[in-house]
Amino acid sequence: MHPLSDAELVDRLPDILINHDNKAFYRGWLERRLLLNRCLQCDTWHHPPKPVCPECWSDAVVPTPVCGEGTVHLLIRLRQGPPADGVDYSTPHPVATVELAEQEGLRYTSTVIGDGAADVAIGDSVRLTWIERNGAPYPVFERSGASSASER
Amino acid sequence: MPRNPVKDQVAIVGVGSTGFSRQGASRSRDALVAQACIDAVRDAGVGKQEIDGVCGGLPRASTVVSMLGLPEVTHYVNHPPPFGFTIVDAMNAIHAGSADVVLAYHAMYRSPFVSRSAASDPLRRHLGWAGEPIGRPWRTDPEQLEGSPGYAAWASRYLHEYGVRREQLGYVAVNNRTNAADNPLAAMRDPLTMEDYLGARMVRDPLCMLDMDVPVDGADAFVLTTAERARDLTDHPVLIHAATTGTTAKNDEDQISGLGHHGQQVVAKELRAKSDIWVPDVDVYFPYDGFSFITLSWIENVGWCGEGEGGAFVESHWEKEANRIMIDGRVPVNPHGGSLSEGATQGSGHIREAVVQLRGDAGDRQVAGARSALLTLGGFFFNAQGLVLRQG
Repeated sequence: MHPLSDAELVDRLPDILINHDNKAFYRGWLERRLLLNRCLQCDTWHHPPKPVCPECWSDAVVPTPVCGEGTVHLLIRLRQGPPADGVDYSTPHPVATVELAEQEGLRYTSTVIGDGAADVAIGDSVRLTWIERNGAPYPVFERSGASSASER
Repeated sequence: MPRNPVKDQVAIVGVGSTGFSRQGASRSRDALVAQACIDAVRDAGVGKQEIDGVCGGLPRASTVVSMLGLPEVTHYVNHPPPFGFTIVDAMNAIHAGSADVVLAYHAMYRSPFVSRSAASDPLRRHLGWAGEPIGRPWRTDPEQLEGSPGYAAWASRYLHEYGVRREQLGYVAVNNRTNAADNPLAAMRDPLTMEDYLGARMVRDPLCMLDMDVPVDGADAFVLTTAERARDLTDHPVLIHAATTGTTAKNDEDQISGLGHHGQQVVAKELRAKSDIWVPDVDVYFPYDGFSFITLSWIENVGWCGEGEGGAFVESHWEKEANRIMIDGRVPVNPHGGSLSEGATQGSGHIREAVVQLRGDAGDRQVAGARSALLTLGGFFFNAQGLVLRQG
């Protein structure tokens, strides 16, 4: 399989502003891989993608898969919002910022799906999974671990 | 110690405002800016040929120069909101000698996305989310925290970490509505009860309709000059005593290190070091309130109370009969109604009201003996700013 050209990438994700700094991140989506930038020089992760490492200013920042495990750090439930494929605001739509296992303060924001999504709370363990949106893969989270509303 | 050579060297000598409305849609943004600017210049008592600096955002400063026919201008710069960026630049430009008399303005103009009545205006169809001429939208999926959702998200963390109750956010909303009743410029003047607040429609849970500022049409404008020149123009100049903006390395909405380290702490530390006047001695306080929760956070960060205690603080400084916050029985909070009730002015309304109060021109809502004002504008990420204003 040939690597996707920049033009093909833009065609696959027409609603997203893709540039040279984030194109590898979005290519990762299409392969169902969440690739966050990690610095080869000092090992620090950062997100969203920046052209240099904010810690050491090295430009050796490499889109690197994360393990996908994390903890809910921020959580809102949208009762209204922008139209999106598969999102129905008649039930509150959770938007969770997840602190990823790789590094303190490294976070990724998406929704939570599956069992227990309706009562997910700050502090819950979640893991990365993928859905299809507008015909392309989209990274989301599902609950993992044993915690539930009744145990908190 | 931070240097502050500009302390008390620049004065605000004129203000103008169109007032704010969430109804109707028949005027252009430029028309609102023109009215506010002309009123501010007349209020200052300067001629248009004397204005050699223009600071604003939308419309562009050069557009305002041509619209108002300002003959020759040596400093004209466009700034993003909140409005503190504009005022700080105007102050610095005057002190540095880039201009002597600066006209600074801010327009609020509802895009079709934020208001049904604005959407009914076919002449606004070209406006994007923030009122900018439309281009490519940014990411449009619901799972991003750019802009407003970032505050709702950190509000969730705030309630979680500190056990703050929604009712305590409600005090901010009720306070501002009570105050707006006495402000003829305000868009929302009908009384609001705590029951109204708690029953309001949730939008981005944990925040409801009444936790968010109200989109409006309107404009504020200011004339600034040197303190020396101000003494020739007016008996009641308002001096910029200290001013700063502040942000941190991690300022993407979902990546800030936490509630204890973002732009607000940077601003509070810098402003406090630059100012001879601080909490609790200021006479009137203007914490930004684009979201109710930002107000509680500012109250904590400038030192009225400790981290996480903002909710309990407004509850214990609540004046029940007056239905508003009165810190230590003396210091009102956003006496004009703030962004929640006057209208979403990105801080220009807060600055205008501070000037009016310090001039003693606030009529029914005049804060008795107001000689100094503390203003802390903007939010957490890349938009925190602060000012201390005082009577000249």
